[in-house]
Amino acid sequence: MDESRLMNFRDAVLEALFLEMRADPNVILVGEDVGAAGGVFKQTQGLFDEFGDRRVIDTPISEPGAFGMAIGAAMSGMRPVFEVMFGDFMTLCMDQLVNQAAKVRYMSNGAARVPLVLRTTMGTGANLGPQHSQGFYAWAAHTPGLKVVIPSNAADAGGLMRAAIRDDDPVLFFEDRLLYNSSCEIASGLPIVPIGSARIVREGRDVTIIAIGRMVAFAQEAADRLAKDGVDVEIVDPRTILPLDEATIVGSVKKTHRAIVVDGAPRAYGVTGEIAATIMEQAFDWLDAPVMRIAAVNAPVPVSRSLEPLVRPDANTIENAVRAAIA
Amino acid sequence: MAKPSHAERLELFRRMLHMRRFEEMVIRLAQAYEYTGRQHLHIGHEATGAAVAMAMRAGDKIHTTHRNHGYVIACGADPGRAFAEIMGRRDGLNGGKGGSWHLCDAERGFQSTSAMVGGSIALAAGAAFALKLAGSGNISFAHFGDGTLDEGVAYESLNIASIYELPVLFVCENNSKAGQRPSSMLAAARLQDVPAALQIHCELVDGADSDAAQIAFQKAADRVRETGKPVFIEATLERWPGSHQVKAAFPTGVTDLSLALNLDKVEGKHADWIKQSDPILRATRALIKDGVSDLVGLLEMDAKVNLLMEDARSFAEASPFPDASVAFTGVFAS
Repeated sequence: MDESRLMNFRDAVLEALFLEMRADPNVILVGEDVGAAGGVFKQTQGLFDEFGDRRVIDTPISEPGAFGMAIGAAMSGMRPVFEVMFGDFMTLCMDQLVNQAAKVRYMSNGAARVPLVLRTTMGTGANLGPQHSQGFYAWAAHTPGLKVVIPSNAADAGGLMRAAIRDDDPVLFFEDRLLYNSSCEIASGLPIVPIGSARIVREGRDVTIIAIGRMVAFAQEAADRLAKDGVDVEIVDPRTILPLDEATIVGSVKKTHRAIVVDGAPRAYGVTGEIAATIMEQAFDWLDAPVMRIAAVNAPVPVSRSLEPLVRPDANTIENAVRAAIA
Repeated sequence: MAKPSHAERLELFRRMLHMRRFEEMVIRLAQAYEYTGRQHLHIGHEATGAAVAMAMRAGDKIHTTHRNHGYVIACGADPGRAFAEIMGRRDGLNGGKGGSWHLCDAERGFQSTSAMVGGSIALAAGAAFALKLAGSGNISFAHFGDGTLDEGVAYESLNIASIYELPVLFVCENNSKAGQRPSSMLAAARLQDVPAALQIHCELVDGADSDAAQIAFQKAADRVRETGKPVFIEATLERWPGSHQVKAAFPTGVTDLSLALNLDKVEGKHADWIKQSDPILRATRALIKDGVSDLVGLLEMDAKVNLLMEDARSFAEASPFPDASVAFTGVFAS
């Protein structure tokens, strides 16, 4: 068998697509510039050459029509991976996503199914401004019938994409563009990561940080600094926010007695509130301090290099929050 | 194609009667139970719906709008289970979770019906995409009203179907008329100017003329199967006066086939619709005139359909409300 390999996030997801498309002829890729162009972030390179234009389909700039087509194809036996170039463009797909993909299984009493992955990029930090930096995963998770995946590293990204393609429900797969070049060791065969299981990134006993997506890396950076001062941080990466692995999160908090939830999307009615409330409901008697939330401020993402870092959390904000929590 | 045989014309009429008597029973049920939830009845569209259903083959797929009752019944779904669904009962086609707007029957290719205007046209294109990729030889049907062409997703879906050469038959029921609260406001002179500009073959048919509709939809479906490319049919219809009713009622009365031969007896506010636009009465006249059947024969058929609908109503009324637990199941496969 091959040894484990160092692979970046982009290539891990791409490998997952190769593996699943080879394994199942019903898996197709649909999106703008996903074909011969290989994706605007080079995230689909080589798929068109191997699978051709029957299974790697370039669409017109018609998100609702093309996404609706993918949903209809999923209901009729295909397993489409539909790519939305920037997560912000998901707004164009909302009727198809919320009223069709999420609902048809329930409305048909289980007769219809939508085995489909919507993959999209997101995230701040690239000076792309208010219409190209948003992550709408909280919107999605608020709609019954959708599963929501947010990988924080290459191994999880590849493994979760394989699971998402094999899943019989619509799965939304959010990829932070600034993670695309981050690498990690990936075991031979790109193991599948089950949807709905959190990962304990780092064990500690003083405080639990629950971090989403790229925030995991910031949390690790903060934890390294805090360790020098003897603060022992545990980090939990939910990996999927719906279904949410409540047991792992609550179990960690019961051990450390303190919790900080970190998210790169706006705080209002977002993921941090949901996870904080879950902890309060299930581990209130174990808490030594109120659950803290760190998230982006409720403002659009400004484009200026000097302004953009101000609206979202980073390692410093997390470090300061931990110091306040244990004070 | 050859002109439909007598047997085929009678079969179309039989389906039309099922559709009409079904909808009339829906009105009676709504009056008896005052259940909440609006219905969008398909009365007046029967010739089009039945002609579409007869053009379908096993393995074909159809996605319709919320004005779906007629199509579901024309495709052969159990009327008792359809009534039960509209009433939110356990034995409904969708277990009581979909209701009037979302009747579907996967076994008959009825994959979903959408109450969002424009919601199902892209899904039908997607079904065609999958059927084409699978090499099945089957085709997909997209049913929608003229108002759907106001939606951007309709334009996109037509464009996509044309670009990818998808085997889909677009069925546009146009019941808008100038000065009559039109449901579409399109700058194009004719609805079909839009699909035609996208290189889609278009046809126009009087959707209340059962013979014309039967020929047109069979021909169009054949064309989609032969060419593998989309076809757009605009079926013109005169809107039934009860289309927008809030309270269930019979503004044009309970259908009486014998009126077809006694049109001079028809009076009242909606006499024009009954005399000129009711596809059931038009078909009755045509079948008798062409010697396909006589009034006695058609009335016998009608009596059977009425009995069937009575039984179906009893079935639905006897069906209990669903078990409480199912409210929470079926959101996900796993």
